[in-house]
Amino acid sequence: MSHTANHITGPRTYFFILLALLALTVVTVSVSYVDFGNMNTVVALIIASIKASLVALFFMHLRHEKFNAMLFCGGLLFLAIFLIWTLFDIDFRRTVLPTNLKAPVQAFPGAQLNKPVRPTTGQPPATPQP
Amino acid sequence: MSTTTSTVDTGHSESRFLQHHFREMSQQFDTAKLGMWLFLVTEVLLFGGLFVGYGIMHARHPEAFMAAHHHLNRTLGATNTIVLLISSFTMVMAVWSAQTSRRKLCILFLILTLLCAGTFLVVKYFEYAHKFHEGLLPGKYYTHQGDEVPGEFMFFSFYFMMTGLHGVHVLLGMVAISWILLRAMRGHFSSAYYSPVDITGLYWHLVDLIWIYLFPLLYLIT
Repeated sequence: MSHTANHITGPRTYFFILLALLALTVVTVSVSYVDFGNMNTVVALIIASIKASLVALFFMHLRHEKFNAMLFCGGLLFLAIFLIWTLFDIDFRRTVLPTNLKAPVQAFPGAQLNKPVRPTTGQPPATPQP
Repeated sequence: MSTTTSTVDTGHSESRFLQHHFREMSQQFDTAKLGMWLFLVTEVLLFGGLFVGYGIMHARHPEAFMAAHHHLNRTLGATNTIVLLISSFTMVMAVWSAQTSRRKLCILFLILTLLCAGTFLVVKYFEYAHKFHEGLLPGKYYTHQGDEVPGEFMFFSFYFMMTGLHGVHVLLGMVAISWILLRAMRGHFSSAYYSPVDITGLYWHLVDLIWIYLFPLLYLIT
């Protein structure tokens, strides 16, 4: 990380980035009214990631700073591991479990807190309702 | 898009802001920046826990989240997004003004950033007041009546934790920007020394970055 000179980006670039960010905000809102089935969240997250990249690369000057960019991406990598491995567990736990094993704990601990108001809350969708 | 990039050498001046354990200003600047980026990574992971929790609960109870998010006001959410994006722009312009030794412009942009942050919090206050009034509160405090889908309280647990933590970050950002503003008024910053402005800018952009994800996840569920 030996850069003795600092890059200065001009106001013009910043202004165009702002316009792009505002335009993408309009796009996110209008796209949310279109039905893509299960893909809506994915589309929203892709647009959010484009916006975040613009902010990080231009406003946070990451495009001139390789080392800091690497550091930040390292953090994002661990966030991705955290998220993806957790979702694997959520999606596949029931199908992977052999039938002779004890069933996983399905009750949501918050349910009891909420008992007086909503007795059925916290049950997973598959559980039959009384 | 045209990108105007120029370079300014800041490495050799003997500034009064050079701390004794650094060899030169550029080393001090790089070190401070690296430290800030490390901190920002911990911030991302702090919010990451909430995002993962949100992902799990959303995947398990899509109907509850879908029904609950209709209580949020999209217009106010979009307004806050725009306000925060503009504040990011004014912040980066304050950094640029400091980089190019424009003291008055720097002060002006810092004040604009503070105003945007204040607007964000005022809008947030009205949103929260509405939720409190309707009893749309997290966990056992949820008292809203007449829901067709059970479990909406879960959405509001995440809503208040995520936007609340983000709101605290906005507040702290305002404190940091005020400190920078005071120092800018005293004429501390110039092209030779502007790392506090730059670092506060990084923090402020992270606050914006997190909101960029929060807005579609909380307000635009379909």
